[in-house]
Amino acid sequence: MSTGDADPAAGDDEGPGLYVESTIIMTTVRLVAPFILTFALFIMFHGADSPGGGFQGGVIAGSVVMMLAFAYGIDSTRQWLDVRVVSALASGGVFAFVGIGLGAMALGGQFLQYAEFEALFGHAIKYAIELVELGIGAIVAAVAIGLFFLLAAGFDGVAEGDSS
Amino acid sequence: MTLSLIEAVLLVFVLGCAVGAALLKDTLAAVMAFAAYSLGVSVLWLVLQAPDVGLTEAAVGAGIMTVLFLLALSNTASPDVDRLFESIGWQTAALVAGFVLLVGATVPALPAIGDPNSAVVGGEVTQYYLENAYDQTEVKNAVTAVLAAYRGFDTLGEGVVVFSAVVVTLSVLRREVVA
Repeated sequence: MSTGDADPAAGDDEGPGLYVESTIIMTTVRLVAPFILTFALFIMFHGADSPGGGFQGGVIAGSVVMMLAFAYGIDSTRQWLDVRVVSALASGGVFAFVGIGLGAMALGGQFLQYAEFEALFGHAIKYAIELVELGIGAIVAAVAIGLFFLLAAGFDGVAEGDSS
Repeated sequence: MTLSLIEAVLLVFVLGCAVGAALLKDTLAAVMAFAAYSLGVSVLWLVLQAPDVGLTEAAVGAGIMTVLFLLALSNTASPDVDRLFESIGWQTAALVAGFVLLVGATVPALPAIGDPNSAVVGGEVTQYYLENAYDQTEVKNAVTAVLAAYRGFDTLGEGVVVFSAVVVTLSVLRREVVA
């Protein structure tokens, strides 16, 4: 990172030797990250027709953020990726899944009875399954990213919380 | 049952890594042995023609878990290691040997790989899924059809469990998601 303000902040939270600035790693990550994210989405979407699915694709999508964190420093990545994005991903996934279930009920079927969506568009079951996989992927990716940032930040927060 | 060369090599590799993960005294070395074990098991799943499980094992076991372990290690003090392996008491060795014998005794009860007469393949439910999955869901991967359609309610439960696990972890450790 060329910005001067990111480095002192990184030194606060990260243990010594946890982050080494390396042009080779940064360039490699910059080149590879879009492809890995595409591969994660491919695993999520194509999980219907080939091995894979929401859980696997979500983990791969989460690992993209971890890779960025190793290249550019965990603290900079944490500032770049808003808290609200991660929590919105996790809860959005649950809401999407439940929403599909309730939507089927609203159309007169039973909970998660995808066939009811056939009234709205063709191949309803297939598209509903794809949406469900995408929702699972969002949950799993957000959980992986959240746990990663949580462990990277250390457990100082516990002591602070207890003393206050 | 005969083992092909690749299966035998993988089994030896996985067993070696598992023993290493349990016995290595240095935590970092143990984590690495565990990651290698996960990778070996995921390839083993592929050889056994369970690519969905293999993909999950590779992504979660060898990938995310290793990263989280390493992060946790970097946040804790690591004691000096004076020798390569843990010393083992004879009680522990006897207990582990007994457990291995107990579990190993159930192995002959498993059906052979690809046995057409095994209970899982011949089961009514399995046959129903295999015959009707594509017609009913238009999804070619029967595993996904079962996960997301036939057992969609179970999968919703799984998703909510993962979600609540992270919510509980975050609130117990009293941290905002990204601090």
